[in-house]
Amino acid sequence: MSETEPNKNNPNKNSQFNLLKLLKPLASLQLTVVLFVLSLVLVFAGTLAQVDNPIWTAVSDYFRSFYVFIPNQVFARFCQTFRWVSPTAQWPGSFPFPGGWTIGGLMLANLLAAHAVRFKFSTKRIGIISIHAGIILLMLGELITGIFAVEGNMTIEQGGVTNYLELKETSGFMGKVNGPELAFSDLSIPKKEKVVVIPNHLLRTGGKISTPLLPFDIEIIKYMNNSSVEEIDPEKTEGGVNLANVGDGVRIRANEKNEASGTDKDQKIDLPSAYINLIDKKTGKSVGTYLASIWLSLSSLKPTQSVITEDGTKTEMALRFKRSYKPFSMELIEFKHERYLGTNTPKNFSSKIKLSNESLNENRETLISMNNPLRYDGETFYQSGFLPNDKGTILQVVRNPGWIMPYLSCLVVSFGMLLHFGMHLNTFLKKRAISNA
Amino acid sequence: MHKSNPIIPAIAVILGFTYFYFQAAQPSDPVEGFHIQEFAKLPIVDRGRVKPMDTFARVSLMVMNDGFQTFKPDKSKEYEIDKRQPAVRWLLDVMTSKFSENHIAEKHKVFRIENDQLLGLLALQPRPGLRYSIEEFAPQIGELEKAGKAADQKENAKKDAFDKSVLQLAHHLQSYMEIASLQTPLVIPAGKGEDWKPFMQAALESRNANQADPNAGMNPTVSKFGEMLLSYLKNEPLNFNKALVEYRDLITKELPVQSEISGFEVFFNHFAPFYHCIVVYLFVFLISCFAWVTAPVTLNKTAFWLCILTLLVHTWALGSRMHIQGRPPVTNLYSSAIFIGWGCVLGCIMLEAVYKNGIGNIVGSVTGSLTLLIAQHLSAEGDTLEMMQAVLDTNFWLATHVTCVTLGYTATFVAGFLGIIYVIMGLVTTTLTPERDKSLTQMIYGVVCFAMLFSFVGTVLGGIWADQSWGRFWGWDPKENGALLIVIWNAIILHARWGGMAKNRGVALLAIAGNMVTGWSWFGTNQLGVGLHAYGFNDQLAWGLTAFWLSQLGLIGVGLLPRQYWLSSRMASKTISIPAKLQPKQA
Repeated sequence: MSETEPNKNNPNKNSQFNLLKLLKPLASLQLTVVLFVLSLVLVFAGTLAQVDNPIWTAVSDYFRSFYVFIPNQVFARFCQTFRWVSPTAQWPGSFPFPGGWTIGGLMLANLLAAHAVRFKFSTKRIGIISIHAGIILLMLGELITGIFAVEGNMTIEQGGVTNYLELKETSGFMGKVNGPELAFSDLSIPKKEKVVVIPNHLLRTGGKISTPLLPFDIEIIKYMNNSSVEEIDPEKTEGGVNLANVGDGVRIRANEKNEASGTDKDQKIDLPSAYINLIDKKTGKSVGTYLASIWLSLSSLKPTQSVITEDGTKTEMALRFKRSYKPFSMELIEFKHERYLGTNTPKNFSSKIKLSNESLNENRETLISMNNPLRYDGETFYQSGFLPNDKGTILQVVRNPGWIMPYLSCLVVSFGMLLHFGMHLNTFLKKRAISNA
Repeated sequence: MHKSNPIIPAIAVILGFTYFYFQAAQPSDPVEGFHIQEFAKLPIVDRGRVKPMDTFARVSLMVMNDGFQTFKPDKSKEYEIDKRQPAVRWLLDVMTSKFSENHIAEKHKVFRIENDQLLGLLALQPRPGLRYSIEEFAPQIGELEKAGKAADQKENAKKDAFDKSVLQLAHHLQSYMEIASLQTPLVIPAGKGEDWKPFMQAALESRNANQADPNAGMNPTVSKFGEMLLSYLKNEPLNFNKALVEYRDLITKELPVQSEISGFEVFFNHFAPFYHCIVVYLFVFLISCFAWVTAPVTLNKTAFWLCILTLLVHTWALGSRMHIQGRPPVTNLYSSAIFIGWGCVLGCIMLEAVYKNGIGNIVGSVTGSLTLLIAQHLSAEGDTLEMMQAVLDTNFWLATHVTCVTLGYTATFVAGFLGIIYVIMGLVTTTLTPERDKSLTQMIYGVVCFAMLFSFVGTVLGGIWADQSWGRFWGWDPKENGALLIVIWNAIILHARWGGMAKNRGVALLAIAGNMVTGWSWFGTNQLGVGLHAYGFNDQLAWGLTAFWLSQLGLIGVGLLPRQYWLSSRMASKTISIPAKLQPKQA
């Protein structure tokens, strides 16, 4: 393909000429190639970073950021994968690199400038213009997803009803969740739930948290980003002193663990725990030191612990994923887990759901299965997992205003490539036929 | 120019056809002896799939003895002729071993033990082939159990070579025991609303039902299958064959389609078409090489037509796998290798049809045989028609996304191999004339355009599939990123050429580097996921990939040598410089 340079003798208006002159370096193909090479390195490093970090940490550090410090260790990981260096090798240091927003933004600028400066619209150019328009759509789609997409899980037990999502770290910039929150609910008013929530960043900061909404102050003794739990014998003190002295923490201990990584097979998300001391505001005395843990909230027996202050106020406490309550609810009628003949390999999962929305007077049954999601109220519900022993279903719930963009992009780019390459092939074959004749 | 001679290509194609024809011929059962080949066709269920007895026997035997789908029994009462026997024969010996007096199955040397320490532990002497029978190490089986328990308790990362071989042997012995106790495979077809059952369970259930209600009678499939085993045990071929026919009729009535497909799969197994395609592709390569030395037109034509014949067999084999599995062509790593090979050869034949310069033949035969060799290697791990994880269980996306992305890999490889040809022709031969230089560059450019189209569309379709299944178009996971790298790489090649940053040689070298990127996406990303855990790490694959990368780097390195060291350029400059010297004399 030859791209015609703008005619320098063209008697353009002066201002337009200056603008083009300014745009010219930005429109250069050299810049395009440099940006491609940078994106190649970024994608490669961002892949390797997933060996040590959770996948969304890599995504937000590398791809949804303006710059990133790439640790040399990621390249050590690459070499270790192929046994070129020792598995324990440590390569200290890091170097700065443009992030996904920067490279993507420059690519967009480069592309638009190139079209402004070099490309004149003609039928011959329809192909290439379509390809580039499709790529822009794709990049905008990823931008919208990166900013606005919200992802969550909806867990429904067999026969149970759920009306909220648990938001996930994979959400975009606007719905960003950094970790679970500490929730205190007052159940004294029947049929209502008054919830006071301590956001995750305060838990991480530690220290004392005081709010007029709660009858006690909260002192964070220890917060663990990722943890495992074990049952302990309250009578024995092996393995150090137990920090907790009341509640579930008396018989269960949480131990700190390294953060989960994106390529870990067993565990892909962090499961935090915290030891907290609650101090009665009236008496100034400690109500007790509790263990609050995602592990406890996940066990369905009793996901909350009761805190009772001296004056008898009862509050339910739990460390749980950030919730988003919905105007509708879902009841799990039946969860099916099909397996291949004579094996334990799953063949298909499906959940029969009763969807109720009182405000709209809606009440219907629907089936969600692998590759067959439910789209409702701007959100899409996918069959994602199940509780142990098939006791319930886990649905992945996504709201993404940019979801249509890749579909459009795929159509536009495929059309463009077929047209552009097809035209070239056609001319080439014609020429060849003439020269052979 | 030599004139084309139609006789030699015709002879080559006929010879090739004869070769395939004889390889496809099926062995026949002796009239008087056991009808083993008929037995091999019976459908059973193993690992979630209906397959013939033959496939189960071959795969089980191959996994245990590390590579062979046949075995060589010692001379005995049962085996008079000292020659290799089909895997089904071994399977029958194992199935009847519990009730046999001479325990013939335990005498078959089918367990491969490589580790010196393990050989020592089992008091075995190293011997050529390193294959041993249960009888040989039975006295030491207690030691093996102890070592196995110790190895099992270690963390995966801490297991050494000895621990791994102990666990592997233990695993193989367990598979053996499951067959011997008739718990694997599932041989008795499902009744209404029931799953397939192993013979042992079905027999017990049938007996219990019979005791509870004597009028019920034995389940006919169970009793016929039992009769077969019993006749085999008693060495009564006629009774065996009679029971076999009756059993087969029962099954065919109940499962007509599966029985037919099972029979076809046995034919396919015996034919082993992919293996024979490698052989003929190598011949195509040899002929194409000769074409550079002598009679280029005739030999290129010969290679071209022989390559088409092989591609037809390759295509048929690919289609047969789809027929057996009822799926689009690519479902796992193994099938991606045979599909990439198929695509490479097809693309190269089209190039050859246009350019008629022999390059398409060479690249096609090399990529075809290499990818099929890789596939052959991958098939050693077990059944290549395995079942898929639930999320992959959709023919629509397998047919569109997977096929498209794999074609993208294919085209990138073809471009890379054309780049290699460019470097080799230019550097060590005098054949890279300016004209050939131009046409090779055109070929590379055209193929890269195809690669761009397929890898881009394939990758985006993958994203759309992901959006359909879990609502995330792009998750930035290693496999997705691997596909993206190929798209970016092809974009780099095309834009560098359009911008004049890479000329003919530059494009060729960039295309070779494309091989490295594709190697990473195809195999490397899989290694990454498990690379830090000891289990599942495939050392051979890691070394293979390392060697491949080094070879490509080496080619790029020599390709960067200044033009004056290129044999083709030196020849070209000589032919120009001689008349220049002569000029003054003439003047």
